[in-house]
Amino acid sequence: MIFVFIIILEKKIQNMNKNNDNVNLELRKFIKNLGYIAGGTALLASVPWLQSFTPEKLKEIKNKKARIALIGTGSRGQYHIHNLLQIPHAEIVALCDNYPPNLKVASELCPKAKTYTDYKKLLELKEIDGVIISTPLNWHAPIVLDSLAAGKHTFCEKAMALTMDECKAIYEAYQKTDKVLYFGMQRLFDEKYIKALQMTHSGLIGDIVGMRCHWFRNNDWRRPVPAPHLERSINWRLYKASSAGLMTELATHQLEVANWALKRIPESVVGMGDIVFWKDGREVYDSVSLTYHYKNGVKTTYESLIANKFNGMGEQILGNKGTMDLAKGEYFFEYAKPAAGILQLINQIEQKIFDNIPAAGPSWVPEIALEHKPNYVVEGKININEGLSMIGVDKDGSEELIASFCQAAITGERAKNIVEECYCSTILCLMGNQAMDEQRKIVFPEEYKIPYINF
Amino acid sequence: MNSSYCNYYESSSLFHGSLLNIMGTRFDIVAVGGTKTVSESLWNEIISELVRLDKMLNRYDKESDIALINARAIYAPVKVTPEMWNILSDCKQYYDITCGLFDITLKDFSQVYLNESDKSVFFLQDNISFDVGGYAKGYAMEKIKALLSFDIEHAFVNFGNSSVLGLGHHPCGDYWSVCIENPYRAGDILGTVQISNNSLSTSGNMPSHPKHIIHPISGEYIEKRQIVCVVTPNSVDAEILSTTLILANDKERADILSRFQVNDIRIYNNIGEENTKHE
Repeated sequence: MIFVFIIILEKKIQNMNKNNDNVNLELRKFIKNLGYIAGGTALLASVPWLQSFTPEKLKEIKNKKARIALIGTGSRGQYHIHNLLQIPHAEIVALCDNYPPNLKVASELCPKAKTYTDYKKLLELKEIDGVIISTPLNWHAPIVLDSLAAGKHTFCEKAMALTMDECKAIYEAYQKTDKVLYFGMQRLFDEKYIKALQMTHSGLIGDIVGMRCHWFRNNDWRRPVPAPHLERSINWRLYKASSAGLMTELATHQLEVANWALKRIPESVVGMGDIVFWKDGREVYDSVSLTYHYKNGVKTTYESLIANKFNGMGEQILGNKGTMDLAKGEYFFEYAKPAAGILQLINQIEQKIFDNIPAAGPSWVPEIALEHKPNYVVEGKININEGLSMIGVDKDGSEELIASFCQAAITGERAKNIVEECYCSTILCLMGNQAMDEQRKIVFPEEYKIPYINF
Repeated sequence: MNSSYCNYYESSSLFHGSLLNIMGTRFDIVAVGGTKTVSESLWNEIISELVRLDKMLNRYDKESDIALINARAIYAPVKVTPEMWNILSDCKQYYDITCGLFDITLKDFSQVYLNESDKSVFFLQDNISFDVGGYAKGYAMEKIKALLSFDIEHAFVNFGNSSVLGLGHHPCGDYWSVCIENPYRAGDILGTVQISNNSLSTSGNMPSHPKHIIHPISGEYIEKRQIVCVVTPNSVDAEILSTTLILANDKERADILSRFQVNDIRIYNNIGEENTKHE
């Protein structure tokens, strides 16, 4: 993480040199943030997947480059290419796609890379350290398993796979290999999520009593199809043979965050799913509402609808003393907001920092009304993902995630928890689909439990 | 209505309690090192004590002890509780040692007759009344200090920013370091004060309240843009000093200071003006 942030820091310095105002001040502020995010043992203990990214590890990969191959060069693959081109320790050496227009675009972005239409041929290449897979969901399991078997460090987009059996197969393969395996759970690398969850876990909003997640859009979720025979491969998200719909495409991220927040996994789920508006021959729901139930009685409600975008995307942790809105990086107190100086003091003590307390003056002027004013997790302007893009947004952790994968592809060091987090959230998504398909409560199946899980 | 809030931060054994609309302001305590149970039970005691004192000392509450004295002592001597007797005697003593500048009548304390024998109070003029606003927060702080003394070694207590108590020290430092904010310029820090087992009291005018300090002898409002901060071991002393030093001339100031134990004193002049140097 430190390392990843150093890249961003360098970029910031470059930008600041361009603008050249208040360089020191901005820089100091940023380093302070960095100091917090790097925050020693407390931080690393709460985000174990970042433990491999210390400055010492950074020295190890100085002047080294991870040789990266991409399988799947559609919109998400191209998004990764743009990020990879900014990462000094990455070099794109091979590209594979069975859809020529996408392969052509990718190849123009990195002309030196070899091109393939058969991923198995690509995996035979010896000069590949890491493989990045951005394919339709039904291809995740076969390609991940082949890539690990070929001895490649592997990164695959979320969700983990189309079926629970495939997830289990990937999980088991991961237990047997010593290779690195990453999944595209970028919220684990998003500064505002990391800080917000640390604050939540420190007790800022009291006990967690509920969780609400939603993702709303208003579009048909389709891509233009040049010829009718390409419908199922281009619009793979809409068909059950290649997709599990809104759950695997959107809910995976949010259910992962819910598990992270609650530090436990729900034991059952009920839900309803329908095709309400986009009756265009698609097979997956365009409207889902589910309730995940945890052993302690807490519930995560999940809603997604793609014919109304008013509510956008959001994840709210509900505490008995406040509410953390993760996507917006804001939190609210149930009661009057603690005085700013006192809040600063609390944060200092929590972070083990000694500093001044701005808390003296002639008198405190009473606040008139108890308003729900937001408090901000990260100071300054932050990027908020409104959830409308089908590809990805800037500064949502994806860049840091890919950068750390490339580092791991050089060192061979596996990141903790990422596979397990993706496994759990994918199984929960698939359980949700099953609950909606069969219109009954689905309990976490015994055969898919892994030791990582705490109910 | 008072509205209270509290939270315990397990990872640093940190307790935060906040009480709104108390003695005309808000109250916050950050206590370190106590268990959740101990801290919460102390917090309940603190709330009860603050509410009790507010009910006793708030002149605007018609049923408070002070309001009853104000309503009746112009007609006949009013017998008071032992605690009220001690408070009034204390205020009399402060009046005597501050050249008459600390005056809870805001006019002329000499027109108050305190009868030791039956612990009664009588106003010799009918335009006399008590306002213990300049005393009450310091008194409350001392009560809280006593409540905390057995279980909590380190705490930062803030009574509306104008009264601050630092017990022990910040968990990561040797003291509590408090910034004094300039009420006329947001974000401007006049200075920082280190406190440890002592109290900081701050007095001065503010843009929102340009005329709220009255000179008891001349009867005129003090309108200068000055901030006075005083650190003393005793919370009441700090309150009395910050209030009276704003009123005092140079001679009175020297006189008054010779009678108190003072750890630190800061006087910031002309703070509303541009290019002011703070020392």
